[in-house]
Amino acid sequence: MKLELVEAINFRNLSGSIELAPGLNVIYGANAQGKSSWLEAIYLLATTKSFRTAYPREVIRHNENEAILRARIKRGNLDKEIQLLIGATTKQTFVNGKREAVTRYLGILDAIAFTADEMEIVRGSPDARRKFLDRGIFGIHPSYLGTLNEYNRVLKQKNALLREASEAENKFKYQDLIEPWNDQLISLGTEIHLARLDYVEKLNEELKPELFQAEQITVRYKSSLEGKGDLGDYSSLLAERLKLRFDNELAAGYSLLGPHRDDLEIHCDGHEISKFGSSGQQRSALLILDLAQMSVYHNNFEEYPIFLIDDLDAELDRTRIEILLNYLGDNVQTIVSTSKRSIADRYRRRARTLFVQSGQVVEDLDIVQEKVELTAGAETTELTDPANEGGPLDEAENKSGNDKHRAPF
Amino acid sequence: MHDYAEPVTKLIDEFKRLPGIGHKSAQRLAFHILRTTKEEAERLVSAILEVKDKIIFCSVCNNLTDADPCRYCASLTRDQTIICVVEEPYNLVAIEKTREYHGLYHVLHGALSPIRGIGPEELHIKNLLNRLRPDESGECSVREIILATNPNTEGEATANYLGRLLKPLGLKVTRIAMGLPVGGDLEYADEVTMHKALTNRHEI
Repeated sequence: MKLELVEAINFRNLSGSIELAPGLNVIYGANAQGKSSWLEAIYLLATTKSFRTAYPREVIRHNENEAILRARIKRGNLDKEIQLLIGATTKQTFVNGKREAVTRYLGILDAIAFTADEMEIVRGSPDARRKFLDRGIFGIHPSYLGTLNEYNRVLKQKNALLREASEAENKFKYQDLIEPWNDQLISLGTEIHLARLDYVEKLNEELKPELFQAEQITVRYKSSLEGKGDLGDYSSLLAERLKLRFDNELAAGYSLLGPHRDDLEIHCDGHEISKFGSSGQQRSALLILDLAQMSVYHNNFEEYPIFLIDDLDAELDRTRIEILLNYLGDNVQTIVSTSKRSIADRYRRRARTLFVQSGQVVEDLDIVQEKVELTAGAETTELTDPANEGGPLDEAENKSGNDKHRAPF
Repeated sequence: MHDYAEPVTKLIDEFKRLPGIGHKSAQRLAFHILRTTKEEAERLVSAILEVKDKIIFCSVCNNLTDADPCRYCASLTRDQTIICVVEEPYNLVAIEKTREYHGLYHVLHGALSPIRGIGPEELHIKNLLNRLRPDESGECSVREIILATNPNTEGEATANYLGRLLKPLGLKVTRIAMGLPVGGDLEYADEVTMHKALTNRHEI
């Protein structure tokens, strides 16, 4: 799967389109110029969800009614064009110019994103980890999305009943009303439980901590019914627990049991990383998880999803960046954003570099010049590189780099 | 809008109240009416009034009808031992189109949906139970209930609820099967339907 072209209309401050190379792509530019927005646009095209906001309205340019994103994707010898139309409350999906159901749209472009928000997975609430698992599962089993949606719908209906019951005088009559929903909760919940267990097993096989010489990382699916009985027969156990705790659910006024209460434990050398891990450990763990997710996808489709890294240098140190980009190599189409010009310079020869200013990819005059110098045999970038290492120097270089870009305009 | 004589504006406004009709469509319909003969207009008016005067709900099965009981309930040739339960009158029409089903019907007029405040009380379940009571001879003619509510979570919950209610009465209670549409290509099936069809496969 190769993303060739992305176009944005009325999407945040972006304008025009960007052309991407099959391997590594580095989007760079000063802050607030639209680097992350381009990555967000790609992620939205792939998943119809943003990694920055839950409110579609926010991505639509001020005073406009809708934003449009388009992409051209090459899969084998097939060219596919997808389009996402984002309204204030609706999203419409198109494939090759025709409106398509979202279930047929998803899967044409698949992306995994390593962003600051993703850190929620290793340090945030169980909700973020469940979402991480679910995303991975429906990436390889599209029908899982239907199961998940149905489960959430049943949960919503059951919660409406429980809320009503918690305020009612006669709670007793609600038993007959709740049971039909519980029956569906059990069958759908069991499907979800089994799918997640299976996926966690696949993830564990692909976790490669040695990549960053990190500590041993393992993941374990933690069912909320753990220690309550035989998890091997999940549907019977859930049914039994639902019966047993019916009064508690009535009193609480919402659903207390089911896979929506489960968690994914991430262990680093036997310690739970969300509680004991350092920030650096958490970052490495997340990256290892993301890469494992990518491998599981590859095992299934013999093809890699697109890998997105937002604000590369803020999230990772130079060694990790180097290891990561080498690992991804030419097999995985990778798109990273950075505010540091030095990083763009470092990878210039093996990557496509895109300089973003005011939401647009502009002609990079310096590159043209450097190419001339390179062909002349002077390895300027390589020579100046070591001096640019580390924080403060990088910053200074970055500033002057931007000044250089501003000069011609 | 002020350009039209008041009766025309009034007609356009009435059309605009109809579902799916915007201003332009309403205008087009109104001008169509203006161009037709008086007889044609009267035919439309009387057709509208007729459904309002004559269409009622069948007191037995709740289907739309112009005679009570409706023609399915009154028919002597239909199988009196089997009742097919559906959500809406148009679901009944869909089943009837097959010409394969010769039993009776029961229309619930909805499905359970707590978030929309629809519980068993809001559905026509009471008169279904009435139909299953033994008559003077102590016999109940109905032997089987087919639950043909929609294949979504609400329809499923409704079928489940009715199943629990009806099973103790000693009836055969069945649920219509879910799976692939016949005559189509496998490739046109969505993932969820395909998944259900695979799960519910049977040996041949």
